[in-house]
Amino acid sequence: MNDPMIAIRDLQFSWSIGDFTMGIPSLDIAANSSVAITGPSGSGKTTLLNIISGILPVASGSVVVSDRDLAQLSTDQRRAFRLKTVGLVFQSFELIDYLNVLDNVLLPARISPTLALTTKLRNRARDLLTRIGLAHTAHRSVTRLSQGERQRVAICRALLTDPPLLLADEPTGNLDPDNTQQIVELLIRHVHDSGGTLLMVSHDHSVLSRFDRTIDFSSLCHNRPAAAGDSGAA
Amino acid sequence: MLRNALFLALRSISWYRGRSITIILCLATTLWLPMTVRMLVREFQNEIVLRAESTPLIVGIRGSRIDLVLHGLYFQSAAPESVTMEESDYIRDTEFAAAIPLHIRFRTQELQRTQGAPIVGTTLEYFDFRRLKIATGDSLTRLGDCVLGARFAEQSGLKPGDRLLSAPQNAFNLAGDYPLNMKVVGVLGASWSPDDDAVFVDIRTAWIIEGIGHGHQSLSSDAQDQLLKSDSSGPLKANASVLPYTEITDENESSFHFHGDESEFPVTEIIAVPQNRQSQTLLLGRYASGRRNTAICAKPGKVVDELLAMVFRIEQLFRISAILSGIVTGVLLGLVIFLSVRLRAPEMKTIERIGSARGTTALLVSTEVCILLATAFCLSLVTALVTNELAGDSLRQYLF
Repeated sequence: MNDPMIAIRDLQFSWSIGDFTMGIPSLDIAANSSVAITGPSGSGKTTLLNIISGILPVASGSVVVSDRDLAQLSTDQRRAFRLKTVGLVFQSFELIDYLNVLDNVLLPARISPTLALTTKLRNRARDLLTRIGLAHTAHRSVTRLSQGERQRVAICRALLTDPPLLLADEPTGNLDPDNTQQIVELLIRHVHDSGGTLLMVSHDHSVLSRFDRTIDFSSLCHNRPAAAGDSGAA
Repeated sequence: MLRNALFLALRSISWYRGRSITIILCLATTLWLPMTVRMLVREFQNEIVLRAESTPLIVGIRGSRIDLVLHGLYFQSAAPESVTMEESDYIRDTEFAAAIPLHIRFRTQELQRTQGAPIVGTTLEYFDFRRLKIATGDSLTRLGDCVLGARFAEQSGLKPGDRLLSAPQNAFNLAGDYPLNMKVVGVLGASWSPDDDAVFVDIRTAWIIEGIGHGHQSLSSDAQDQLLKSDSSGPLKANASVLPYTEITDENESSFHFHGDESEFPVTEIIAVPQNRQSQTLLLGRYASGRRNTAICAKPGKVVDELLAMVFRIEQLFRISAILSGIVTGVLLGLVIFLSVRLRAPEMKTIERIGSARGTTALLVSTEVCILLATAFCLSLVTALVTNELAGDSLRQYLF
């Protein structure tokens, strides 16, 4: 295997409140691959994504993403790393209602002190919208879009900076089967076309065959489930 | 970054427009009151101080010095009781000061477009003293003539050659102040003072309005059928349909005369213009010593200072009230912002998860608050200016 995009060794994580602990002895995710993670609710899948994206700090062990050891980074460095390296797609889309479609896609540039909102970036945002068939909605309010359209806008936002790693936390959880297939197709195609890495949490077994690799989270780590489910991480 | 924060804040304000408008209106209302009062007080202060400082001394009936000054300088408040021309002669005889008598007891009748103006009976020295220049027409030359202040002329639309009636002080006092049909002979240039709102007549014309001087109406005119009650036996008797006003014409001017000694004729105030500071002190001393039993001599600058101290107390009351309402609004604003931040917590969380720098969300919220505050401030400033412009005079009269 080439240098992995993600290399985790002896990761230990626990919340300060509650009795949830998670331990991953070893995990490597190859670059330019699409990986699906499945597992029961509350097992720590979202927590893992939050650690890999730098939202949660690495308390013990080592997490190297794109050759950066996250345990060595400060909070501000992790934020900068996330903005540059990781594209995040959430289950509930998390678009900003008061921004139109184009401005939602451009949001990472508007909140970043280092990323300038250039014409090139605007053109990239328009290009992304064109590629997913939403160019005509660029100046429309996101509240007027369907669920599937909203998730596609969220994916465009995640891809704006052309991140080498795309993390998707149950992005099809709120979608009907047709939209689910479209969204997964879109993500997989992006990985194949641009050579990125996709790590996606999913409960939908109908889409798992599309991924290069599927990981059963239960077999990956030894942990004790959180009392309130893993979506409460952060 | 600030540009992006402004962009996001403006979009947010526009999206949550109901909440934004409510906050802006609450803040603007809180700021508007003290701002308006402050503007009114400052303008009032400028107007009142300037005129008071340009008037060295004012003499009038013993009583309220504030009423005396307000009436003599600004033609405001009820006319004080009169002193007599003897007081004016006394001042002149002391040789400490020149005396300019004023008799301001009457107003003009209300016209269609304007309220009645105060009729200022005085001498030509008043125009020199106030540096009032005739802009159109002529100065006062004979009984019954009047000269209009610039603003009154503009508002009433009157011009030289027109006629203007004085208002009867008591409609049922047939023997007393009978309306005088005055002839407008000139209009003064604007002086940006109470003189602009007044009508000036010779002091003897004011005495005619008061009923001290009078002429005799001819009953042998073409209208005698309407005017005569009886001419068949004895002297002519006029009936009740005599002309509803007095008018001084070329024909009857010579018949106008005054009964009694002019030194006994009334004046409401006398402006005393001392030769120098020493003369002023001496004249003030004469009046302070009580040698003039019925009259007092006031220094308008000093009186106005006392008056302004009262006005500032009123302003302070408004300020305290504004501070209290400001505190309440501030607390409400804090609550609204707190609730708004909580309501938008998921949005802020998303921004942080995407990778915003530390403090970006705080910058977004504070930018939004600053925009709301700035908008409220501008709105209250504009409203205060408009209020001052449109209702300043009425509010000043009501407040002060």
